[in-house]
Amino acid sequence: MISDISIGQYYTGNSFLHKMDARMKFILVFALLVFVFLCKSFFSLALMVVFTVFAVILSGVPFKMVLKSIKPLAIIILFTAVLNIFYTTGGATYFEWHSLKITEKGINTAVFMAVRILVLVVISSLLTYTTTPTMLTDAIERLLSPLSVFHVKVHTLAMMMTLALRFIPTLVEEIERIMNAQKARGAELETGGLITRSKALVPVFVPLMVSSFRRAYELAFAMTCRCYTGGEGRTRMKQMKLRPRDFIAAGFVLILLAGVIVLNHFFEAVI
Amino acid sequence: MTPAVEVRNLTHYYMKGTENQVAAIKNINLHVEKGETLGIIGHTGSGKSTLIAHFNGLLKPDEGEILVDGQNIFESKETLRQSRFKVGLCFQYPEYQLFEETVYKDIAFGPKNMKLSQEEIDRRVLTAAGMAGVRKENLEKSPFDLSGGEKRRAAIAGVMSMEPGVLVLDEPAAGLDPAGRRELISMIKNYRRATGCTVIIVSHSMEDIAGVADRVCVLNNAEIAMLGTPTEVYTRDEELRSMGLNVPEITRIFINLKKRGLNVPENIFTVDDAVACLRKMQQRGNA
Repeated sequence: MISDISIGQYYTGNSFLHKMDARMKFILVFALLVFVFLCKSFFSLALMVVFTVFAVILSGVPFKMVLKSIKPLAIIILFTAVLNIFYTTGGATYFEWHSLKITEKGINTAVFMAVRILVLVVISSLLTYTTTPTMLTDAIERLLSPLSVFHVKVHTLAMMMTLALRFIPTLVEEIERIMNAQKARGAELETGGLITRSKALVPVFVPLMVSSFRRAYELAFAMTCRCYTGGEGRTRMKQMKLRPRDFIAAGFVLILLAGVIVLNHFFEAVI
Repeated sequence: MTPAVEVRNLTHYYMKGTENQVAAIKNINLHVEKGETLGIIGHTGSGKSTLIAHFNGLLKPDEGEILVDGQNIFESKETLRQSRFKVGLCFQYPEYQLFEETVYKDIAFGPKNMKLSQEEIDRRVLTAAGMAGVRKENLEKSPFDLSGGEKRRAAIAGVMSMEPGVLVLDEPAAGLDPAGRRELISMIKNYRRATGCTVIIVSHSMEDIAGVADRVCVLNNAEIAMLGTPTEVYTRDEELRSMGLNVPEITRIFINLKKRGLNVPENIFTVDDAVACLRKMQQRGNA
């Protein structure tokens, strides 16, 4: 039941994207997200779509999994599309009913927006598909490390994130165990209305809280015993290193940027 | 007489339908008679915990049936619910399930779910607390203020208070010191004597089981490998060791003495028994 929650959504693989440095991936994904907003014409957006499809193929992540990451956002995409159809007016009118009007420009904007969101979602989910949560937090830590000039405890924040991710499966297991134990004492956790049900969860959440605190203390103790004092002077087992493939990817993205700008320049803007 | 628990051709798969599908237990057939104490032994991952989670319907079998008091527990919602109260399941490290403000309330959780009258709940809590060895002055304390051993007792009392016909304990002595273990085992013996209930104890410690069980069931690789009295099972020393189980040291010594032609019994499971037995032999020798 709860055991099939998948945490993060890393897809095990050994593709070009999997092997890239997480920091570079992070930066490039960020850049690509900006590019999506730079697109003004259908042609530049089409270039982005082509690039995205290419990246998905390159990653080796099955299309079915990518679709799964779009599913929860389907309603939002549909909603923005519908809003845009009715609220943007201009060009030829195809349909009119009271104050509702569907125009050429409305349809164009709606399609443009929907595709834009799709590309945004797919690109950012590719990052999590090809990067383990640990690598991600590592990359965030390294990228944010200049902030330590302003006394931001970047390492501590990253460590907290890593630990939180690490403990999610443990807690899921724990919840299952406690639920079974209380069910064995006749607790009814799956029947009744909202209030009965939330009341029934007290016997599950109190022990869960208690054991989370216990685990936190134990972990802190164990870390202290291993002389953990925070980020200063800490070395890593897996050193991050930029390799030729990272620069190739960066170069590719730069060419894409040039393409977007050129296409924007030569073709009519939709929005 | 109908057996307290009857298991027929029980099979349970984990990750069913995926390529990682494994049988946690395979084709298990088991009768547990009323009033008997059954020990279930097995190496880690042999399927012990999976097996007992079927006794009160926490897990649903993929194949086979479970009958409690001759009644198939999956027949209806009601029979399933009744099985929760007929078979009291106490998990490993039960102290992590304590949640109420006071020990009393926590022990009363089970009986309350059975919708009993207040007087009956009161009676059951006090009886269970007495049997599990929860001290009276601790009843009004918060369960989180108790020591580890006391918490364990309180949690076991929480299962006993449902007065189940069958009490199932999963590794009840895990994590306790030797003195705590001994106390716990004698507590279980007393409980059984006082109530006449069926008791099923799961453990990988053969020493703990030897002292209480009438019959021992050995699980290996998801299947029942042996089933018999402790003496019958424990004398198959070599086989047990190949399953990663260790016969108590003292039993091994006696088995080997017997092999070398000494006339000693093979059913010695504790050092105390051994001492008593040797004394007797000495007296006989002197006489």
